[in-house]
Amino acid sequence: MTNKNILLIDDEETIQEVVQVGIAIEAGWQVAIASSGREGINLAKDRQPDVILLDVMMPNMDGIDTLSQLKSNEKTNTIPVIFLTAKAQAEEKKQFQNLGVVDVITKPFNSMTLASQIAKILGWEL
Amino acid sequence: MAGAKKSPTKKLFYEAVFKHSLEAIVIFDRQGFIVEVNPAAVKLFGIGKKKLVGKAIDDFLQFPSDWQQLPEQGEIKFKRFEDEIQTVEYSLVGDLLPHHNLLVLRDLSDVRLNAVAQLNLHHQRVELFSEVTLKIRQSLQLGEILETAVTEVQRILQADRVLIYQVFANGTGMPIEEAVLPQFEPILGVKFPEEVFPEDYRQLYRRGRVKAIADVHSPDAGLAECLIEFMDEWKVKAKLVVPILQNFKSIDTDENCPGGGSPSDRLWGLLIAHQCRKTRRWTDFEQELMQQLADQIGIALSQGELLENLEGVVAERTAELRQEISERTKAEAALRHSEEQLRLIANGLPVLIAYVDRHQHYRFNNQAYQTWLGLSPSEIYDRHLFEVHGTAEYEHICQYVATVLRGETVTYERDLLLQDGCVHSLSVTYIPHLQEENKVQGFFALTSDISDRKAIERMKDEFISVVSHELRTPLTSIHSSLKILATGRLGSLSSQGERMLKIADEQTERLVHLVNNVLDLQRIQSGKITMNKQACQAQELMVETVQAMKTLAQEQKIQLSVKASNFVVWADRDYILQTLTNLVSNAIKFSPPHSTVTLSATKQKPKSRLKQQSSSYITFAVRDRGQGIPQAELETIFERFQQVDSSDSRKKGGTGLGLAICRQIVEGHGGRIWTESCLERGSTFYFTLPELIQLKSDRHD
Repeated sequence: MTNKNILLIDDEETIQEVVQVGIAIEAGWQVAIASSGREGINLAKDRQPDVILLDVMMPNMDGIDTLSQLKSNEKTNTIPVIFLTAKAQAEEKKQFQNLGVVDVITKPFNSMTLASQIAKILGWEL
Repeated sequence: MAGAKKSPTKKLFYEAVFKHSLEAIVIFDRQGFIVEVNPAAVKLFGIGKKKLVGKAIDDFLQFPSDWQQLPEQGEIKFKRFEDEIQTVEYSLVGDLLPHHNLLVLRDLSDVRLNAVAQLNLHHQRVELFSEVTLKIRQSLQLGEILETAVTEVQRILQADRVLIYQVFANGTGMPIEEAVLPQFEPILGVKFPEEVFPEDYRQLYRRGRVKAIADVHSPDAGLAECLIEFMDEWKVKAKLVVPILQNFKSIDTDENCPGGGSPSDRLWGLLIAHQCRKTRRWTDFEQELMQQLADQIGIALSQGELLENLEGVVAERTAELRQEISERTKAEAALRHSEEQLRLIANGLPVLIAYVDRHQHYRFNNQAYQTWLGLSPSEIYDRHLFEVHGTAEYEHICQYVATVLRGETVTYERDLLLQDGCVHSLSVTYIPHLQEENKVQGFFALTSDISDRKAIERMKDEFISVVSHELRTPLTSIHSSLKILATGRLGSLSSQGERMLKIADEQTERLVHLVNNVLDLQRIQSGKITMNKQACQAQELMVETVQAMKTLAQEQKIQLSVKASNFVVWADRDYILQTLTNLVSNAIKFSPPHSTVTLSATKQKPKSRLKQQSSSYITFAVRDRGQGIPQAELETIFERFQQVDSSDSRKKGGTGLGLAICRQIVEGHGGRIWTESCLERGSTFYFTLPELIQLKSDRHD
């Protein structure tokens, strides 16, 4: 099993924790945490994660703004981004995909199966 | 005379001539004294011969003193003894013999009088007829005509009483008009029994008999004793009776009268003249006069009766018209009242109500229309839609106007800036006004302000959206935490602890499901979702559903079966899959183990419910062998949170929103959803979707 670096950008602490623990137990991957879009962009630049899990609804700078900044920066524009959202109807999903995300994972999700979900999306082997 | 002496025979002859001449011969001497007169002269002068002879001639004739100057022939005034002056014709031979003059006189009076009398009579007749005819023409009033008739006859005939006696159907009769001299008792209005004028008499008169009686007492009159008494009672000495026959073709056709009058004549009455002072011989002329007058009266009667009939018809029609007018007036009043009420109601409603004709001109609008749009009645009435609403708005609404003018009711929503400066959400319904043969005369436009409702709806949607979103984040944490705990990697629990963890996990799953459903339903209902319709194979939809539900079915030991079909529907694939999955999931949950849930799609017309849908709809059916649904619940199960048994949701893990979502989806496709069920034997859920009609070539492929 290859080790993967995951960056989670979410303002919700409990989500940060369950995602970190769940992915660690399921896949043993490292999850870096950013509590805001700004912090996430900086971390992404520094750490060059394999995937960014980006929450759409965040105060100040939301997921969409964060995404566009990630996509406009050459250091980060190749990193695949998966949206985590509570708004996840079919047409919104399409809308989000047009913005350049690889997929959308709808809340509520099970953090214990999140790693396999990500692996499936990105074609990784667990 | 001198010559006469020569022959005794001649003398005898001349004497005879003298004696028998009808012309008066007078011989007088040169002093003017009468010497000899013949019997005709005696008659002319009205005095005996002895009294005449010796009298001066100018005692009788207005002779001038120089009578010798008179022409031989001429006319001269003559004064009859104690009588009036009259004119005689004379022939004078002066000095026929010495001192003897011959005067021959011819009485002109008879000749003249006769001529004058004739003329007078003729004149009277003409006068009477012209008078009566004029009256008849001038007046159609029978009473007036009859009055004129009796008055004129009385005047012309110088009769003491003239009356018109009307004969009634039962043979009795009564004088209905009378002209009588004041010294005689009027007979008018006295009713006479049938015996006075029996049927055989009536028969005779009906044939046109005229009865002229110079003396009622004379045996020649041939009157019965009782009639004579009757005549005496009224002091009648002579009478003239003529029938008044009425030509009565239209009414009395069955009455058969041989001879006399025409078969259709009816004896209406009699015109009777009485002479009371003395007996009287009625002349032919008088009889004729009476008869002709009676004929005129007969004509007048017919005309009068025609008029009466006409008047009767007119009166009847007038009465009918009055009734009709009165009814119409009442109906109009009721209509006005009802209109007034409607107007009051229409004006009192906080809704725009208008009637627009088929040429798109306003024909009616209530007060709200004026207040909302800020237009005066004259700016709306008879104006075209685009004049009232402006070109831009008209361009938007004309599609709906076209629909309603095709005869279909149409409803749409519009946000409009109204007079108060605020944007209002309006719901507009056009209802076609159809007349015979479904021709559209115009339409009613009902517009209500749904701004408040819209605002509440928005708040509700927002609330649901926020709540469900806000629920998702904590749910993710709870759900994930529980799943992590369940791995046992963070330490092991007691068996009771494991059990509690399982409950927490299951109920969290249920909560997640519920939140998803609530959001789904709200989004579909609010119309935020647009159905992404495409051609879908019914078979594929069903097979895919079965694939998705395989695991659940296996868990419940339920067999899933799909009946083959070859239809293509026009639908949003994802939503129809959601619907089918929901129905199949329900069927599995409520079916006993080892039973089969069957899916099918048919074009058969269903048994009920779908009257409005034609065969261009495909009916999907999901049949289970479950407990069935009570009849009363068949409708309500499609409402939110309406499960047959409230414990079901706990036992089966449902949210109570599945069927409500299904209904929204199906109706969003223009289809219908319903269920048919038999308790203890199972239920079948149906829904319809529009069929996509394929071209033949496609089918061959």
